Amino acid sequence: MSQGPARRGNEKHKRIDRRSWLKAIGVAGAAGLAGCSGGGGGGGDGTSQSGGGNGSNGSQPSNATNGSALGGDGNETGNQSNETSSGGVPEVGGTYSTITSSSPETLNPLYNTEDGAGDLISYALDLGYGFRPGTEYFPRLYDMTTDQGNVWVAKLRENLEFGGDYGEVTAEDFVYQITELHQSEWAATADASSWPSEVNVEATGDYEFQIELPNSNALYPETYDPLLYPIPMELMQPYVEEQNADGLRQDEELLGLGFAGNMGAYTLDSRNRSSSLTYKRNENYYLRDAEGVPERFSEAPYFDTLEVQIVPESQSRLAALEAGETDSASVPFNRVSKFRNLERTDVYVIPQPYNEVCVYNMRDNGWNAGPGNLFRKKKFRQGLGCAVNKQRLSKGVFRGFADVEYTWQPQWSKWYPDDNSNIMQFGTGDLYGPEATQSRIKEAISDTDYGYSGGNLKNPNGETVTLSLYHSAGQPTERSMADFIAQEFKQNAGINVEVSAIQGAQFSREYWQQQIPDNPDQYEWSEGSNNAGPREVTSANPWDMTVVFGLNTYPLNPTTASVFFQKDSAYNPYGYYPSWNASELFERASNATSEEELQPIFNEIFAKISEDQPMGMLAFPADTIGYATGINGPQENFFSEWDFSAWYRNG
Amino acid sequence: MGLGWYITRRVGWAFIVTFIIVSITWALLAAAPNPEIAQAATQVALQGGDPADAQAAAERARELRGLDAPLYQRYIDYVTGVYTLDWGWSETRSQPVIQAILGALYYTAQYSIPWTLLVIIIGPMVGLYSSATQYSWKDHLATGFAFFGYAIPNFFFGIILLLIFGVELGWIPVIYNTGVPVFSLENARQLAVPVFVLVTGSIGGIMRVSRNESAAFMNADFVKTANAKGVSKLRIYARHVLRPTMVPLSTTMISQLLYLFVGSSLLVEIVFGIPGIGRLSYRAIIAQDTSVVLGFTLFFTFVATIANLLQDITYTVLDPRIDFDDR
Repeated sequence: MSQGPARRGNEKHKRIDRRSWLKAIGVAGAAGLAGCSGGGGGGGDGTSQSGGGNGSNGSQPSNATNGSALGGDGNETGNQSNETSSGGVPEVGGTYSTITSSSPETLNPLYNTEDGAGDLISYALDLGYGFRPGTEYFPRLYDMTTDQGNVWVAKLRENLEFGGDYGEVTAEDFVYQITELHQSEWAATADASSWPSEVNVEATGDYEFQIELPNSNALYPETYDPLLYPIPMELMQPYVEEQNADGLRQDEELLGLGFAGNMGAYTLDSRNRSSSLTYKRNENYYLRDAEGVPERFSEAPYFDTLEVQIVPESQSRLAALEAGETDSASVPFNRVSKFRNLERTDVYVIPQPYNEVCVYNMRDNGWNAGPGNLFRKKKFRQGLGCAVNKQRLSKGVFRGFADVEYTWQPQWSKWYPDDNSNIMQFGTGDLYGPEATQSRIKEAISDTDYGYSGGNLKNPNGETVTLSLYHSAGQPTERSMADFIAQEFKQNAGINVEVSAIQGAQFSREYWQQQIPDNPDQYEWSEGSNNAGPREVTSANPWDMTVVFGLNTYPLNPTTASVFFQKDSAYNPYGYYPSWNASELFERASNATSEEELQPIFNEIFAKISEDQPMGMLAFPADTIGYATGINGPQENFFSEWDFSAWYRNG
Repeated sequence: MGLGWYITRRVGWAFIVTFIIVSITWALLAAAPNPEIAQAATQVALQGGDPADAQAAAERARELRGLDAPLYQRYIDYVTGVYTLDWGWSETRSQPVIQAILGALYYTAQYSIPWTLLVIIIGPMVGLYSSATQYSWKDHLATGFAFFGYAIPNFFFGIILLLIFGVELGWIPVIYNTGVPVFSLENARQLAVPVFVLVTGSIGGIMRVSRNESAAFMNADFVKTANAKGVSKLRIYARHVLRPTMVPLSTTMISQLLYLFVGSSLLVEIVFGIPGIGRLSYRAIIAQDTSVVLGFTLFFTFVATIANLLQDITYTVLDPRIDFDDR
């Protein structure tokens, strides 16, 4: 099941990984499924690779209680040194155990599309690069440089060895993978969408290859498009010759990561698909001898064994954390204070990029309360934006472990405008309450037969407007959020909201995704089931509003978020037509050659988004992860586990 | 016609029944659209390919999966696959289906065999005892125990016991460890609570049926006669009451255990993190992993058919009045 821009679910990792960036299309169902399986509150499941970042050694995690929930700032560079207090390198030994809720579908790096599985793979096989706190590029297998942003050169480390008889890693392995698999029609790899045919890749030396883009892209690494796993060319060749995708998918070496050689901190030792994975320390981990990496990697990793237990039941996972049987597990918001008070656990609040949104259906089967779809009017959406108190939502529903959202970026993102005077802060201050709400709605309905009577919005038949709002079944936090929205809409907008629970996958399939028209050519665009055409193309069932999906705001490279705001993009299930020139602005952002050039463009984009209110943008809940005290490494930062292989246990 | 011929016929019939079910599942599968084909076409479409490319991709996918072969060929391949245990590939687990099922069964058997044995032994015994001491405090206690086990949801009960014995007292591990030997104290320790939860959950029905069924025989003439002849109480209960009680009870037992096998075991497996057949099937259904769903459908078909066969044979052994000649 793929993970992408749309996702919610406490049982899934909420990090931005490469899949999240890559998969801009066709992934809403995953969000639903993730949502279905979750319990209430709390973030990832403890094996997330994104959290942590800049805390000080052994410090108590922040005790966020209101509004500003996020303990860490993605822009901070972090001051932690993982060395022991005596200044030496930590001792190697012991076991690090973590716990996750579900078994991955596959560990085949070429076909994995799940965050959780990505973490499991990453223990035994590093990806090409990563980011440190402050969005600082961290070269793992290769460094990437560019002059103008259209030709990027990837330079490999020279101490990379595959396992088995595959020998050393060369540029040719990567080039072959890109050209013969990702750019092929038959292989349908997870990375296929990252490597369109117009991207030219060629080896320019044994340890160097270059990627030539059709347009310049100053934030190309941040898109995660050039992020690759190393796969031996000899392993791929037989499947390439036969164009055998099933064989490639089912290859035992790929599934068992046996080819990983020295490119993972640990080696996969055993795997029981439903219950556990065990890894052993890799004595030859390449980062130990790598140049330009912090000293603490010199003996990494510091655990002899790494265990990942798969336990589907949330209470059982928490019991394991409490009993000391695991070193990390996700903690629901309502249990954070308990686990903070336990001697043997700490809870870290780790910001993540998925937002809580109330999506309005602007397609023809949306707004079932009367004639004319009022969601299509900017003023009406602004009115709805004034109806929900975001600070109370954060405090009440998310127990303070969420920051309010005004536009499509968390405030810790380096791209969030420094001067936010142009960001309209709907839902707080003067932009909250019945007056702010109803004045805007009245303006929006001035040319219609809708009207207010007795504080209620009436449709032309004189009936109070009643809208449906769907949330994922089995998600208590989401249910609370839906109830809160319903209450606020009633109180401030005079609109009745009927809250309904639904399985995420069912909502995705029957409500969110449109039915592909028989003749797509008759429409101006038809981009697949998440935007199968203009507003007249609809899903099988009508719906008004939903909170089923949390959407990725892509804080490292917001240009990736363009799909959410263009009417003919690959991801527009809600039928949003921007009242601003989204295509042009995002195009400018894509073509910018420097970060300095980008910032003013993003400032403008985020101001426009906040003003246009394409959907109710409500909050950024954090992940709350419990760790055993004494685990040195986790930090309250978006880039938390960038140095996971250098974590160790105190004492 | 003897018992041997009867069993042979019943086995033959069981084979035919499974064959019919296998054929029906094939027909249903053949009639259903294959999501992987649609996915292949969508993939091309999303990459900007034209409709002809998407069609070609769908054809290629169809070809790779052998779906372009004539129907009869596909049917023969399928049936051959089923009976040679080649049940396909699980997309959600990235392993052959038969491996997934056997792997899960290995763990399910570890708690379901003791569970079944305990239920079969304790259930009728408690029921019989309850019936023998009808309306006494012992009967009420046994009835209370039965209803408690029946009423309290296994899921909830399991969590409570886990918190008490795992977290508070530390007597049992919270996380199930697949690495321990099957016949070891450690394994017995980690399976004790799941088995206890299942036994209390399923013993109620069997105990009540055995109590009510045996009550009918407690005052029967043959029991009175045995009493008058001075036969010991134990012998009366075991030979004269339990035996006829077991005939209707065996039906209840088999159907209930089969039902519980799927329902209760799933919940217990989720709470205790046991990677058994319940979790496998549940996840396969949620993830729409058709191969695995089909796999355990076949598995349960075989199990149910064999259970039915055993039940019929049990009847004839337990009650000589049941004649198998005409059946």
